[in-house]
Amino acid sequence: MTKSQTVTEMKKPRRKYQEFMDNPATRNILPVAGLIVIILLFTFLTGGKIIQPSNIQLLLSQTYMLMIAATGVFLIMTMGCLDFSQGSMLGMASIVICYLSAYSIPLAILGGMVTGAAIGAINGFFLVKRKILSFIVTICTMFLFRGCIAYLTTDNPVYAVGDIFSYNTIPVKLGLTVVLLLLVFFFFHFTRLGYTLKAIGAGEQAARFAGIRVDRTKWLIYILAGAITGLAAFINVIKVGSVTSTGGSMLETEILIALALGGLPISGGALVRFSNLVVGVLTYKVLSTGLNMLGLTTEMQQLIEGIIFLIVVAVFSDRKSLQVIK
Amino acid sequence: MSEEMLRSDNINKYFGANHAVSDVSLSFKKGEIHGLIGENGSGKSTYVSMLTGIYPIDGGKFILEGRELAIRNQVEANRNGISIIVQEMGTLSGLTVTDNIFLGNEDRFVRHGIKNTAAMNRKAQELLDQFGFGRIRATSMIDNYDFEDRKLVEIVKATYFDPKVLVVDETTTSLSRAGRAELYKHMKRLKELGNTVIFISHDLAEVIEQTDSISVLRDGQLIDTVESSKATEGQLKRLMVGRELSDRYYRTDYGEPVSKEIVLSAKNVSVPGQIRGLSFELHRGEILGIGGLSECGMHEVGKAVFGASFDRTGEVTLADGTEINSIPKAIRHSIAYVSKDRDNESLVVNDSILDNICLPSVKELAVGHVLLKKRLSAFAEKYAKLISVKMSGIDQFVSDLSGGNKQKVALARWLGKGSDILVLDSPTRGIDVKVKADIYALMTDMKKQGKSIILISEEILELLGMCDRVLVMKDGVLSGEFERDRSLTEEDFIAKMV
Repeated sequence: MTKSQTVTEMKKPRRKYQEFMDNPATRNILPVAGLIVIILLFTFLTGGKIIQPSNIQLLLSQTYMLMIAATGVFLIMTMGCLDFSQGSMLGMASIVICYLSAYSIPLAILGGMVTGAAIGAINGFFLVKRKILSFIVTICTMFLFRGCIAYLTTDNPVYAVGDIFSYNTIPVKLGLTVVLLLLVFFFFHFTRLGYTLKAIGAGEQAARFAGIRVDRTKWLIYILAGAITGLAAFINVIKVGSVTSTGGSMLETEILIALALGGLPISGGALVRFSNLVVGVLTYKVLSTGLNMLGLTTEMQQLIEGIIFLIVVAVFSDRKSLQVIK
Repeated sequence: MSEEMLRSDNINKYFGANHAVSDVSLSFKKGEIHGLIGENGSGKSTYVSMLTGIYPIDGGKFILEGRELAIRNQVEANRNGISIIVQEMGTLSGLTVTDNIFLGNEDRFVRHGIKNTAAMNRKAQELLDQFGFGRIRATSMIDNYDFEDRKLVEIVKATYFDPKVLVVDETTTSLSRAGRAELYKHMKRLKELGNTVIFISHDLAEVIEQTDSISVLRDGQLIDTVESSKATEGQLKRLMVGRELSDRYYRTDYGEPVSKEIVLSAKNVSVPGQIRGLSFELHRGEILGIGGLSECGMHEVGKAVFGASFDRTGEVTLADGTEINSIPKAIRHSIAYVSKDRDNESLVVNDSILDNICLPSVKELAVGHVLLKKRLSAFAEKYAKLISVKMSGIDQFVSDLSGGNKQKVALARWLGKGSDILVLDSPTRGIDVKVKADIYALMTDMKKQGKSIILISEEILELLGMCDRVLVMKDGVLSGEFERDRSLTEEDFIAKMV
């Protein structure tokens, strides 16, 4: 009796702010409110230019790749893990797609997804079998494959076949993105594997004791995320047509900022919502496009994005789960 | 010589929800060696850690010679005349013997910002010689000496300045007979100077012999203080292990036969450092108890049966010969496990009651691989209500619940799963009487339904009251077995435990 009483007493002096943030409604509404505020802000700052149809079309055409790549990372981060190798993964997959596009486009897509999945499998191997923290592993693979990309593009960029641009149409890109989002939405909410991801993020040890095959799940999700990034690489190639040594670089940071802007707790877990993904990517794209339209230099944009990232992460971190990111 | 040196008023310490030290008020006299005993986790080390500034105090105060102490670290404790010889290695490797002795007190040898190393070494060697440890060279690296010698260096470090209060925390176990004699000598010396020594040890004979009075802690609470000259080992053991007054909640049937049918058997199960060669059989409809001191390896038995032990050898098999070697396999074959570590292993505390109840049963709840929220909610609702979890709703997070309600959620999930073999490790730990009674009633019900239960517990009366058979463990091996019998007493048990 005395024990449970003291526990409740100890919880009392919790700050108002914490209570506000603990309210599930806050977590659902705040990111959407953020998106609306940012749209209004840039509409005002650019004198309405940002919401002109031509610009919205441009904005969307830049969003597909990020949206697809972020989908895989969304699943990884729900488990409380991180992935910094997305950019290099995208670069490698793009190179493979360029090579294979000479033979057949479906083969190229498949090749890109297999490349991504293979890199995901390497990440998963070191994470699960060697018990190395995910952010260490993926930083290593990020550098490793960045090196490979630099080597493969030393003399010339790698080009895809010329007619690959014919796939660069809205139905292809929008269709692919929407279908993928629907599939992942279904996976996340209505399948056993998807259901367990949040539990792994919230408490890995306890999830294990509830019979969840934590290691197998982690590995599978890293492979899946890799394959999804392979798909993002296809979108990248049909838009750009070639890969240079910097192909895909900084993608991992963009994904991380986007998901954080969507309200995803950096430690994953039970507070993760699917809306975090969609809202986050849109918010990030409006923000970066807006900053661009204001004529800010890249350095200035990075500075502002960095500050916003820090604030958002601090606001949305799940303070109750004190564990480290795996 | 009966003047008070040190007093604690209602000292408290929490580790999360765990009340490690609860309202401990103690008085230590000048010229006294005061023993502090209790089981592992009873709060002895935590108590002295607060006195010596290792942990901050969560409530209450220490008063040294009439003045309240406000100590934030060990160096400040030293300056106030309090020192400690700790249980683990208390010296820092990579430093010389001298550096270790004067750690935090180097200022004494500093003139105009320059440390006089030569003088420091000279002084250290002088002290070592004076203590009779002349063979230890002050200028050598501490790493050149073995554990025992390092402890001797710690004795010098802790006592050379004649502290008013010296704490000796479980040091003697790592010392040889000669080393112990040295330590006792310096404890006596301080005592004769009119100072106080607080002596913690598991060796009860040693405690009775070396101390003037003995205080017993259990579950963070002070149980009693006795005079050493009048104390016996048996009496101290009883005080340490304790008695619970809620025995009226237990089963009342005696002498009913248990089915001969074996549902699970463990053969020669070992886990390095925890269990050695344990074999037992569990029958249908049986409540099998496993008891012993907290560190005897019994908690690992639960994990071993559930396939959760990291490097287990030996076999755990079901009646049909199925070997249990992983958690998913155990769950698939109707074994349930409620861990002692409720917040890290039993439950995903940062998740909803809904998710916690549904997690092990998602496979059964899926309609052709598809999970429907409605079905999950209905399932969670049903079992949370069945076991009357006090909650605002099934979407409430488990972290907001009290210990007793958390435990109910942990039980509800296995009730929902319909497991036939339940391994319950300390299911009533830190739970109030009301919920305790509910849990006992639930266990009796399950037994009647023909389910088998392994009850691992540190509470002897709970084992005596609930089990058909109790296995007692000591140092990782089976040390005794008792059949259910009204005439069994705690003493029979304790004799096998300690």
